Amino acid sequence: MSTDASHEVRLAADNAAGRAPRNTEDTGQQPGHKYGMRRKGLSERNRPLWMLIPGGALMIIIIVLPLLLGIYMSVLNLDQYTLRKWISAPLIGAENFVEAVTASPLLHAVWLSVSYSLLAMVVTLPLGIAAAVATQNAFKGRAVIRSIFLIPYVLPSFVVATVWRTMLQPGGIVDEALGTVGIHVGLWLNGPQTFWTLVLVQIWASWPFIYLLALSGLQSVDHEVHEASALDGALWWNKLRYVVFPYLKGPLALAFLIGMLHHINNFTLPFVLFGVPAPADVEVLPILTYVTSFQSFRFGLSAAMAFISLVLIAIPLFVYLRAVKLDDAETPGGKK
Amino acid sequence: MSATTATRRSAPTLEVDRPGSHRQHEVLRLLPTPLLIFVLVFLGALVLIPVLYIFLASVNSDIGVANGEFWPSTVTFENYSKIWTSVGLATGLTNSVLVAGATAVVSAALSISTAFVLVRYTFRGRLTILRGLLALQSVPGTLMVLPVFVLFSSAATYLGIQVIGTQWGLFVTYLTFAMPFSTWVMVTYLRGLPKELEEAARIDGASNLGVLFRIILPLSWPGIVVSGIFAFLLGWNDVLFASVMTRPESQTAAVALQIFGASQEGGAIPFYGQMMAAALVCAAPVVILYLIFQRYLVGGLTAGGVK
Repeated sequence: MSTDASHEVRLAADNAAGRAPRNTEDTGQQPGHKYGMRRKGLSERNRPLWMLIPGGALMIIIIVLPLLLGIYMSVLNLDQYTLRKWISAPLIGAENFVEAVTASPLLHAVWLSVSYSLLAMVVTLPLGIAAAVATQNAFKGRAVIRSIFLIPYVLPSFVVATVWRTMLQPGGIVDEALGTVGIHVGLWLNGPQTFWTLVLVQIWASWPFIYLLALSGLQSVDHEVHEASALDGALWWNKLRYVVFPYLKGPLALAFLIGMLHHINNFTLPFVLFGVPAPADVEVLPILTYVTSFQSFRFGLSAAMAFISLVLIAIPLFVYLRAVKLDDAETPGGKK
Repeated sequence: MSATTATRRSAPTLEVDRPGSHRQHEVLRLLPTPLLIFVLVFLGALVLIPVLYIFLASVNSDIGVANGEFWPSTVTFENYSKIWTSVGLATGLTNSVLVAGATAVVSAALSISTAFVLVRYTFRGRLTILRGLLALQSVPGTLMVLPVFVLFSSAATYLGIQVIGTQWGLFVTYLTFAMPFSTWVMVTYLRGLPKELEEAARIDGASNLGVLFRIILPLSWPGIVVSGIFAFLLGWNDVLFASVMTRPESQTAAVALQIFGASQEGGAIPFYGQMMAAALVCAAPVVILYLIFQRYLVGGLTAGGVK
């Protein structure tokens, strides 16, 4: 994208809205460089830091405070009787954690969550890449196809889950369709196959996200690269494999991390798809934590489970935060 | 795009090479045509068949849906008049629009001022805040729902403020959870704005607020729309908090539909038609918003990577 357009406000505004700033070089950085010195002097005095207060206060009261409260609750013996006066609930130390790890389905839930997230990711990656590669070059109706491809991602999760729940009923449309080609799968929404149902519906709902990020990667392929490989007479597969795919590495690594976080955190899809109590094979972490709180009323235990799942999520999150460029190079805040 | 410049550069070796020409098309080609068509048809069908099915099932009879009909044998639009009371969509949609709408407006307003400070000024802890914004986007709702619930019920017990069961509780919760992402969207957006105008305004004596309202705000509508829509969707799509913190009269459409679906278990044939009609009605505002603002939203989706 052109950087010398910074005087043309509209162009810059359009660029900013349409780009994917996280994974490529940010456009804003070059013009800023020359003004770095001047801006610094200006910004040192008279900074309206008070503008951070409303948002900051909200986040502290509704996110940080409950987060600490949750950690505290994980060492309390908290049930429906003691919840009202949780401040005076008995402290039981690590007992909740011990119970969560040894005497609850938590480890099973961790295993389910991780394997389901990975499986869904492994299938959505090629689907998303194929879609991006197929819609990269202009053809008639491409805009419509691009809009259609994003529909599953745009639909609310509770709608997706409700629809698939209906389609996967015994004797429903999916069974009927598969029956005509002689495939009989059995129960989708109950029993041991539910795990695969969850994976399938998650794939349907989330491949467009990979598609989006792959598309942003493809757009960074220089035209010269196309020319060069055309001159070399590269076969389409070799061109994709050795010329185009390397451009996708960055965006797809990002998509992988964010996608994994999404899948592991996804509560709505399994909750609406299977209801509670969920079949044992789809009792993923969010469902287990929720059920322990609001069905079995073991609030302390649930808080301990939540804490453990936070530790689990911290792994991809940490990698993600390390990978993301927080700042433009020009910003003087970088000196820290 | 860069196509024209590249064409010019390679002109000596190739004769007719305009964008859109056959030869140009060959150069950019990534897939052989049959494979291209296969991918498009396969993925298009994968998406469109279920979407078409939602509509077809919503005008079908419940028995028809239960028997696995794709094309309805009898067509009726009755379901669309029943869902307002049976599913409770009249109340649900009102609450959803109120809560999600308020969330969108307030979060857009808060996030532009927060982002303005984060982008244009330097201060200690700035990077920590930016990193925190990203980290908070990934905090799972299931981790937060219990402590937030306890916090709100304590507000009732100790301060006498009734939050649980009202739309206010949901609004404050959604607003807070929308803030990290909305702010991040605005941060990436404001970075793209040229600083020259702002500096000119400052030389003319504009204050911080003057710059924000006179210069930044009028230029930022695309960013504001994106961050507002994402905040709206967060409220519209949430089931977790709404299922714990609402009463029937303050229920959102998402919870109304989820409860209606879950209550159909066992017994007679479930009201599939009504479920699908309600699902379609709940999805419609989201899809319409997306179609209108598609250009901006796609950039925003990849920017924050969070739904």
